[in-house]
Amino acid sequence: MSDSIRSLRSYNPVVKTLAPVPAMIVVALSRDLWTPAVIGTIALLLLLIGGGLRGRTLLWVVAGPPLLVALLTVSFGIWTDPALVDETTALLTIGPFTLWSGALHTGLATGLRVAAVLLLGLIVGLTTDGPDLVRSMIAHLRVPYRIGYAGFAAMRFVPRFQRDLEIIRLAHRVRGVSGGRGPVTTLRRYGGYAVPLLAGAMRHGDRVSLAMEARGFGADRTRTERRQVPLRSRDAVLAALLIALCFVPHLPGALG
Amino acid sequence: MPILIRMSDVLLRLTGVSVRHEVYDESGAPSHGEPRPRDVSAELRAGEVVLLLGPSGCGKSTLTLTANGLIPQVIGARMDGTVTVGGRDTVTTPVPALARDVAMVFQDPDAQIVTASVLDEVCFGPENLLLPAAEVLDRAEEALRRVGLWERRDDDPDRLSGGGRQRLAIACALALRTSVLVLDEPTANLDPAGVEEVYRTLREIAAGRDRAVLLVEHNLDAAIDFVDRVIVLDAGGRVTLDGPARRILTDHVDELVELGVWLPVATLAALRLRAAGIRLDPLPLTPSELAAGLDTLPELPAPTVPTAVPIAVETSVRVRGMTVHRGRRAILHDITLSIGAGEFVAVAGANGAGKTTLAQAIAGVVGVPRGTVEVTGSSGFVFQNPEHQFLTNRVDDELAYGMKVLRRPQAEIDARVEDLLDRLGLRELRAVHPFLLSGGQKRRLSVGTALVTRPAVLVLDEPTFGQDRERATELLDLLDALHADGTTIVVVSHDMHLIAEYATRLLVLADGRVIADGTPADVYADAAVLAAAGLRPPPIARAARALTRHPGWRRLTRLADLPVLETAR
Repeated sequence: MSDSIRSLRSYNPVVKTLAPVPAMIVVALSRDLWTPAVIGTIALLLLLIGGGLRGRTLLWVVAGPPLLVALLTVSFGIWTDPALVDETTALLTIGPFTLWSGALHTGLATGLRVAAVLLLGLIVGLTTDGPDLVRSMIAHLRVPYRIGYAGFAAMRFVPRFQRDLEIIRLAHRVRGVSGGRGPVTTLRRYGGYAVPLLAGAMRHGDRVSLAMEARGFGADRTRTERRQVPLRSRDAVLAALLIALCFVPHLPGALG
Repeated sequence: MPILIRMSDVLLRLTGVSVRHEVYDESGAPSHGEPRPRDVSAELRAGEVVLLLGPSGCGKSTLTLTANGLIPQVIGARMDGTVTVGGRDTVTTPVPALARDVAMVFQDPDAQIVTASVLDEVCFGPENLLLPAAEVLDRAEEALRRVGLWERRDDDPDRLSGGGRQRLAIACALALRTSVLVLDEPTANLDPAGVEEVYRTLREIAAGRDRAVLLVEHNLDAAIDFVDRVIVLDAGGRVTLDGPARRILTDHVDELVELGVWLPVATLAALRLRAAGIRLDPLPLTPSELAAGLDTLPELPAPTVPTAVPIAVETSVRVRGMTVHRGRRAILHDITLSIGAGEFVAVAGANGAGKTTLAQAIAGVVGVPRGTVEVTGSSGFVFQNPEHQFLTNRVDDELAYGMKVLRRPQAEIDARVEDLLDRLGLRELRAVHPFLLSGGQKRRLSVGTALVTRPAVLVLDEPTFGQDRERATELLDLLDALHADGTTIVVVSHDMHLIAEYATRLLVLADGRVIADGTPADVYADAAVLAAAGLRPPPIARAARALTRHPGWRRLTRLADLPVLETAR
């Protein structure tokens, strides 16, 4: 793991999770184009400079937000109720359909907001290991370690459930459960999967918890953490920067 | 010579231990059942490896769970008597605190993994005990080196084989540096290569003589050569025998057979020979002892000639040039084979060799390229975990389901269901919810759900996985009866002994290709094939191979080949 100050990976996971939250709220409540555009761009730059992204992930981070913005702009442009925007300029009229500039504006703003919130979330999402986040939550947020480690164990359950569900689906098909379409049939079919899936999950969960207790889990109020997730001055700087993003909406006024 | 026993030598002491599990009657009201085990007293000392034996249901696993207080502290059961570990009472000392004295290894390797790397996993226990980080790492390294996983410390445990994951569980237990190690069926979920790996590791650990080991294991062939002492429970859960392993197994062999305790295959072979008038003294416990014993005899009668397998007239399953992909990866490569009506075919191979996919392709469970699989008549498939197949709330509805789907007349459905209830021994349980049956009953019911439509071909995926010998034998006898009635049986299995005893043909897969196809006896004679597929010949074949005299006996693979007196049963 890189410890360079330029790498987002070297920053504290809890800081990366919590510090973007105020900016996310500001973006979500904004109605202009400027705020989400600037904040989104800054988040993107942070990811590109410090994220150490490669390959497909890099491609998605760079190409995803513009695609998302374009998609939302166009669909809002088409689907927005004309009554709300018919005071704005009509850009185009095809038969009964009129494209209003107001609709495009709403779509663009929404797209930018979604993209900006997403990019802020990716700062922690793409540069953090789940276990480190849990360790840091235990160390710095005083989350009880029992809860943190229950989270670990739960993460390991997911692929197991997917495997089990796949097998159960095959097993029920072999028994002759009809593969009909309709929502009622589908719902009933999934109801049939629930019993074996839950029975298996509960048994597995029981076994895991027995095995954990047998290995001393919960013996004391704390436990040794071999890997200390650091909380350093660089984290304060990152937090300050991310929180400062809340002032982006006031910038145009300040700049005149 | 007076034997001096210092009290401090006793690491685990059980005094009058009885456990009653919660049971629920039909209205769902809880009560406590019969005690299993019942009134067990025993002491384990440093350096001892103790094997706990007994018929299934006598409470062996339950007893292991009392050793670190999981019973009665965590599992809802009532315990009478006392258990002390290193002088501490397991009822009053919390379970996690007892982890300093007792380490446990359970049956299912997957249910013991908490973290995302091999190293973190081994550190988990010592970290819970608040040891300094440097010591945690020291212990983890030592434990991983002892089980041979140090080089793989950065891997995700999911990437290890089954045997590897169980060795990891053992390393986790070792890292706690306890004076008592308890293992409950540690190899029941493993393939033969995994069993071998785990016992190689356990043998080395036991050789250290620095701790007491309590072991429950049904695979006696793997375990017997490093066990010092055997404690035998009877069907009622009481201790009936307790003493040195060899003496108990040889001097009390008839009692053990009477109790329904599974014995090493070499011992069973000797008992069969004894019935035929051939006495081996001392009674052998391992294949090499059996071979040595036979070699001391100047002459042996000719082995029973296996009844010739009738040559199939009709083809039941025909597979032609079948390649199966999952995603981009080919699971099976260009498989061509045909199975005659009435064959009993076993499919073996290492994990990931494509066994399950081949079985599912034959039974039409997964899609295959058009025209590559032809089955004459209908086929039924039984999944590894019976619960996955259950659809209804009663045993008899479960059996009837397959016929109802086919919209058969009610009278015919009833007749078939009644017949199966008797055949599977489930008549008393017809109104019970399938999920409330015992493991063996669930397995029988799942086979029954496939049998109700009278398929011409019955395919089973690992039907004996995770079950003890009795259950496995019971199921195989059921399959054998079906086979005798003319049903074609295809079984995916790791169990070389069961394959040798029951199958008429063995297919060995490796990396999606059939690398051997023949009678089990022929395949077991091919060491290269076995090595390539991670398989081991069954104990009888190993003994036969080791003979220096009696050339006529060297190709034996199964108990049924051993000579019997005409009058013998």
